[in-house]
Amino acid sequence: MTRGGDVFQELGVRIGAVAFLALVAGIVLGWTPLIPVSAALAGGLYGAELAISDVPLDIAAPGVAAALLLCAELAYWSGEERTRWLGDAGDGLRRTAVVAILGASAFFVAAILLALVDAVRTHGLVVDLLGAIAAATVLATVLALSRAPRQSSSGS
Amino acid sequence: MTRTGSPRIVGYAALVAVGLLGALALRRPELAVVAAPFALVLAIGLRAARDPGVSVELAPSTDRALEGTAIETVLEAAAERSVDRLEVLVELPAEMDVADGSRAHAVRLRAGERRELPLSVCCTRWGVFDVGRVEVRARDALRLVTWEARFEQLHRVKAYPTPLTLQQLLAPLETQAFSGSEVARVKGEGVEYADIRDFVAGDRVRSINWRASARRQGLVVNERHPERNTDVVLFVDSFADVRVGGVSVLDEAVRAAAALATRYLDRRDRVGLVGFGGVLRWLHPGMGTTQRYRLIETMIETGVEPTYTWRDVNLIPARILPPASLVLGLSPLVDARFVAALEDLRARRFDVAVVEVDPVPLVRPGPAQTDSLAHGLWLLEREVVRARLVALGIGIGTWGDRDLDTVLEEVRTYRRYARLARA
Repeated sequence: MTRGGDVFQELGVRIGAVAFLALVAGIVLGWTPLIPVSAALAGGLYGAELAISDVPLDIAAPGVAAALLLCAELAYWSGEERTRWLGDAGDGLRRTAVVAILGASAFFVAAILLALVDAVRTHGLVVDLLGAIAAATVLATVLALSRAPRQSSSGS
Repeated sequence: MTRTGSPRIVGYAALVAVGLLGALALRRPELAVVAAPFALVLAIGLRAARDPGVSVELAPSTDRALEGTAIETVLEAAAERSVDRLEVLVELPAEMDVADGSRAHAVRLRAGERRELPLSVCCTRWGVFDVGRVEVRARDALRLVTWEARFEQLHRVKAYPTPLTLQQLLAPLETQAFSGSEVARVKGEGVEYADIRDFVAGDRVRSINWRASARRQGLVVNERHPERNTDVVLFVDSFADVRVGGVSVLDEAVRAAAALATRYLDRRDRVGLVGFGGVLRWLHPGMGTTQRYRLIETMIETGVEPTYTWRDVNLIPARILPPASLVLGLSPLVDARFVAALEDLRARRFDVAVVEVDPVPLVRPGPAQTDSLAHGLWLLEREVVRARLVALGIGIGTWGDRDLDTVLEEVRTYRRYARLARA
């Protein structure tokens, strides 16, 4: 936001506040659709900042990716704990460790991707095309996996 | 088990789509980099998710208990494949509560592992309840997919009413032929002294009263009252119930009936039961421990079945009400059909007494003036009903905040004077 003008900064603060409120509302009310909305607003703000920026490649992207994933994971976890469950000893610590590992993994994966992008960034339209195909492939894979046939067996 | 996706799937997929589209539109690869971890979580999580094959059973340690006492149960959970988080929620009937432990457990199971989760429950009122409804939800490590199932391996638990302490009971006016603990009004072989009379041939020598014989210049023998058993029929009103929160007059009536049955059976009396209401339940008079359990198990099935049909005592089989038995009514006296049945029994020369389970403390008048007026009229109507029954020779004791012994003493006192008046 430091890279934009005053108007952009003011707009950024407002969007950030809305994203924060959406996250808080999602956690407090247990309305989970607000969590990705909040993350998308924050990501959108980051995208807008990148759009007006003149930096060729922002090295903060892995940090943003890890932060967004951590925020989303913690918010969903909060929603899952709305019912008071009697759990095993150390259950919370174990889950905290899993979330921390997820955050760290997100950071490293994003960092590796950023390094790859930086390496091939100057190779023209072919690489752009490859990137678009890769993005489409990722989307298609996610859709195919989420629409996998549901397994069901007798419950009782 | 039913597989469902968690809200994460839609949320993360949307974020990935927005990120990738934003990267293409703005020509900024950083947005694709930001979206990539979300896509990776989705891909790995959905690929690795497998049905864990969970089975759960809740088994109580006993099928009979007193209300209010803890029943130990074991909640056994097993999984064929490893489950990162298995949420187990025990559904209990409304009349049951957790005494120790938690209804909601969240555990982690390894492949093939079997876990026993202790849970102590108690019945807040008497009755017959089915236990064993359990809902489970298994989550994978990345919490993307859940498997849900509902297990219903039901175990029937009978909660018996808490026994009330009773010092004395109502003695029926007539006794039966078998030996028991009640001193009969007739004369015969027994312990209690009754009278003296002149010796006649055939009298036993041991019954001669030598002091009286010496004074009267002739042989005089003692006469005694024999100890006999009695027949008691507990006549429980199940036409209507007055229930506020956890307090119910029907619950109290059944508690009192259980205590009375236990005490009468301890005295070797024969006890029968008539549940008079929408559903007519009866049990032939009998003796002993078996009869006690039969009585209590019949009582705990008692409930209010709404009916608008008129019912009278002609519906009750004749053998259920033996001649010269004491019919002991337990009722809030709020239904005219039960009051009419009591009057009818009295008209048929049965020895009738009533323990009125007082519903008045549970009924509060409404805020309006007409409500207060209606409440007052209702109280007056109750007085009229009570006076009508007393006029017929039916002893009534109102059981509210006093203990049952005091109430029975009140009825006993009335019956003592009523007998004197008749004599």
